Amino acid sequence: MGSRIRTDRGKPQSEAPVLDVRHYSMAYDTEAGTTTALDDVSLMIWRGETHALVGESGSGKSTLAWAITRYMAENARDTGGAILLSGEDMIGKGRAELEALRGRRIAMVYQDPSSSLNPTMRLGEQLTEVLIRHRGMTKTEAWVEGEAALARTGIVKPAEMMMRYPHECSGGEKQRVVIATAFACNPELIIFDEPTTALDILTANQILDLFIRLREETGVAALYITHDLGLVARIASKVSVIHKGKIVEQGDLETVFGAPEHPYTRKLLAALPRPEDRLALPAPTEDTPLFEARDVGVQYNAPGWLTRLLDKSAAAHWGARNITLDVRPGELLGIVGESGSGKSTIAKAATGLNPFEGEIRFVGRSFASRDAFDRKYRRDVQIIFQHPDSSLNPRETIGGILSRPLKLYKLCPAGEVRQRVRELLEMVLLPADYASRYPHQLSGGEKQRVAIARAFAAEPRLVICDEITAALDVSVQAAVARLLVDLQKRSGAACIFITHDLNLIRQLAHRIVVFQRGALVDAFDVADAGSPERHPYTQALLNAVPVPHRPEDQPDLMEPQA
Amino acid sequence: MRKILKSPTGIIGVILLTIVLFATVFGPWIAPYDPQAFDARARLQGPSMAHWLGTDQYGRDLLSRILSGAPSTVAFGLGATILGVGVGSVIGVIAGVAGGRTDSIIMRILDGMLAMPELLFTLLIVTFLGGGTTQAMLAVAVTFTPGMARIARSAVLSVRTREYVLAAQARGESRAWIVGREVLPNALGPIIVEATIRVSFAIMIGATLGFLGLGAQPPSTEWGLMVAEARQFMFRNPWCVAVPGLAIAITALGFNLFGDALRDAFDPKRGH
Amino acid sequence: MSLAYFLRRLGAVLAVLCIVSVAVFAITTILPGNAALMILGENASAENLAAMERQLGLDQPVLVQYLHWVGGVLHGDFGTSLRLQLPVAQIVGEAFWNSMALAAIALVGVTVIAIPLGTFAALKRGTIWDLGIGLISYVGTALPEFVTATLLLVFFADPVRQLLPAGGFVAPAEDFGGFIKHAILPSATLGLILMAHISRQVRSELSEVLTSDYVRAARLKGVPEGRVIRRHALPNSLAPAVAVISLDIGYLLGGIIVVEEIFAWPGLGRLLIYALQNRDLPVIQAVTLLLAVVYAITNLIADLIIAKLDPRVRYA
Repeated sequence: MGSRIRTDRGKPQSEAPVLDVRHYSMAYDTEAGTTTALDDVSLMIWRGETHALVGESGSGKSTLAWAITRYMAENARDTGGAILLSGEDMIGKGRAELEALRGRRIAMVYQDPSSSLNPTMRLGEQLTEVLIRHRGMTKTEAWVEGEAALARTGIVKPAEMMMRYPHECSGGEKQRVVIATAFACNPELIIFDEPTTALDILTANQILDLFIRLREETGVAALYITHDLGLVARIASKVSVIHKGKIVEQGDLETVFGAPEHPYTRKLLAALPRPEDRLALPAPTEDTPLFEARDVGVQYNAPGWLTRLLDKSAAAHWGARNITLDVRPGELLGIVGESGSGKSTIAKAATGLNPFEGEIRFVGRSFASRDAFDRKYRRDVQIIFQHPDSSLNPRETIGGILSRPLKLYKLCPAGEVRQRVRELLEMVLLPADYASRYPHQLSGGEKQRVAIARAFAAEPRLVICDEITAALDVSVQAAVARLLVDLQKRSGAACIFITHDLNLIRQLAHRIVVFQRGALVDAFDVADAGSPERHPYTQALLNAVPVPHRPEDQPDLMEPQA
Repeated sequence: MRKILKSPTGIIGVILLTIVLFATVFGPWIAPYDPQAFDARARLQGPSMAHWLGTDQYGRDLLSRILSGAPSTVAFGLGATILGVGVGSVIGVIAGVAGGRTDSIIMRILDGMLAMPELLFTLLIVTFLGGGTTQAMLAVAVTFTPGMARIARSAVLSVRTREYVLAAQARGESRAWIVGREVLPNALGPIIVEATIRVSFAIMIGATLGFLGLGAQPPSTEWGLMVAEARQFMFRNPWCVAVPGLAIAITALGFNLFGDALRDAFDPKRGH
Repeated sequence: MSLAYFLRRLGAVLAVLCIVSVAVFAITTILPGNAALMILGENASAENLAAMERQLGLDQPVLVQYLHWVGGVLHGDFGTSLRLQLPVAQIVGEAFWNSMALAAIALVGVTVIAIPLGTFAALKRGTIWDLGIGLISYVGTALPEFVTATLLLVFFADPVRQLLPAGGFVAPAEDFGGFIKHAILPSATLGLILMAHISRQVRSELSEVLTSDYVRAARLKGVPEGRVIRRHALPNSLAPAVAVISLDIGYLLGGIIVVEEIFAWPGLGRLLIYALQNRDLPVIQAVTLLLAVVYAITNLIADLIIAKLDPRVRYA
């Protein structure tokens, strides 16, 4: 794959850098006093170079981007240093100067194209706006140029796209429009703020390819902000790792990845899921399935009689259809797929949250509808959700939350509930005195641990994990995954792990099934992931996500899949 | 509470409400004169040392009348709101929890009721129930019911799809437990906020009904009625319409500001 | 604008009106005190009552009465006023246009003032201007119409200075200046609460939009601030504001009842109070239904404006 060859190495550095941030510091004035947001940050980017700024949420990476563009909150204050754009200091520029410069010399691409595009304006107008403003074009000229710009980003029918509103396009199309707008005036610097995070794997991959191609064509300098270390190696030649507003490590990609010096960098690299670092328990020997889904389907939005009358073609939408899969005792089955592929739909059907057709079997018992699920089944099959912020009732203490399954399933005498709650907290490595706290007093990772403890409190035989690591930072993700495997080992429970993170699932799972548009398209043992017999869609997914290698493996950091 | 006192509007709201509630509880005790005592020599006077807020057409002390009218005015607002919010919330929660056909039938009927301007609806009901404070209160409560039901329903719906509710469902909790322990405590915020703001509307509508002669009857010291009675004399002594008018405004303003501050405090987007 | 969207909205309006007609009829029929009793008074004899009930058709089943009434309404026949002994349609007709004129003046005035005011407050957010406009609008929403009206009268219509007439009505065809003069105080009364409410709504919507990602993106494209507000922010904040205005029209139509009574404006509101005092059922039914129809139609218009402002709505 040509796109994986980095082309921005070894630029001559005789000329001045496009962006030169020198010992820059920034603070927010708050009621509690001044809090430092950026502390002595320095970085330089030359023409044609891509510099990755890596950090977890709250590290200050986006703050730096806003500081460079001088788009800052009213209580933000520069407390030292300089930000030079081709030698000109950005600090102290007036509003008119900034307006003339933004979009022309610095442009930006944002994380979520559906919120960064104006919902009530045609895409064409949003794109041509910069051409009219900065390149002095007339409306007609700008429209022609806009179509050409869209065509360059690989949009098939640019003229039609220009007339559309954002809600009429897919996420990938929208992000292409944003990118076309950013490149429209040939800026010196473009800041990419996690431009692929909100997109599906395959779309994200195409957007990355597009970025690499346009960078080569234009020679723009790019600051690429991301939390994804795996991605960095594919696009950047220089890396800065930012932590709590400070750059803790900076240098060439090879040096930072090959011989990380700062403990934080090492921690981040260690937390990257690598398929060959197997976390999974030994594969179960028993062949009788614990849980089976046979021809299970879930229908959404069955049309009402009036709609059917008016529109003969109206039909229900299938969230998932003809799904047949099984899980053996103690096994971890991975389900992967993009958003809308039906993977969560099946999880909800298996836990009685969605009505379903077909049959679900569990240890020899058969269930034909969700009404047949009795308390015993519900106790044996537990589910954990994606968002730690919404999976715990905010008005209940942690102790109250954890004692609920104990009382509901009568798992221990009333007098021992408190003691058991303490044990559960300790089991997920949380202090026992958390029992009296409320969810909002916990961090995201801690909340997710509580949700896990609640599921395991029921002493289940199958735990369904629906994207439970997706909303967490990399380092927390790894810890949660390890915890899950550890609990599985202790309890012997089987697990269905739903995720879009292919590297993670290859660490955890014994077998993997792949969902695409509501259908199960592939099922295989983890060891066979690289086999040429895989379904083309599976291969595409695997190819889209490079496998990070260990720091010791120097030469080519991101080896494409075989 | 601390969050409410952080915004200037919240502080003003709390101050006004404190004054109003103080007058409501102690008003009749601290009134300097008998609110019904005629004084032929001191008719339609402006503020003076003897009568701080002046006197009305019969020489009755306005301050005393305002103070003695406070309990009935505020009680009217609170009573009508509690009734309307109570019934409306029950309907709304039932619609939100039941979903499906029950929900759509209830909502259609509510839409029809909401399609009539509020005051018109109240007037119709009051006319057919007959004038008087209790009837007026009932009428306002009935008028509030559909709007409150809507708000309660949407509060329930927004909570119902949260993951902790799904988790309880998946666990096999009973419906009563899910509604009582997981849904309601979390849906209460918006309902309380709306109720607070509605108290001010109830007071205003109650006063309007009194003004139109359909609510409290003379010689009551209900504030709306006071304005109506003094209207003939408004050019000779503007104080006798201005004082009860402003009393209504202050009370309504207090509940309004407090309700808005409460909303901001509940709204996680604006809080810290 | 898609035709399907329009038809769907229209269908919803018709459905609501059906329910309203039932509700109006139910309230006037089922609640205690029937029309015959109202006309003849408490002391009427049983035979007279029975005769009157027959004359009014009250001995028929409720459903028949309802269908009879609705059938008449659809032909423009609202029955005969019990008190005035005139066709209701005739009495209501003129009053309807007088009321609409008053409501329209108030609404236009309010919109023209409130939207710029709210915009200004949002742009000056956190300053003394914002706080001042905010407090004034809070006071505005806390004053019932009858208090505002009375205070306005005290200031502008006292017998000595006579700046504006204290009440009454002049037909615009006769003397347009006089018509406007008479309309100023009532429409100002009606407008005050709405102005406060709408400007506050515009302010809060606009300040939210101004912190949105797409406004930030527009600014970072170097779009001049004036255009950011005009082209990017305002259209997005107006759609919700229009939704609020359309709900406020219900408030306006209620306020009209009080205001017309105070300013002796010969409109639907005044007619309604007269009919309520005299228990003139056919008039009450007609006025109530008309006000509900106006409310429903303005809501429909508002929905169409919102669909125009926000392309996402058309497909919802």
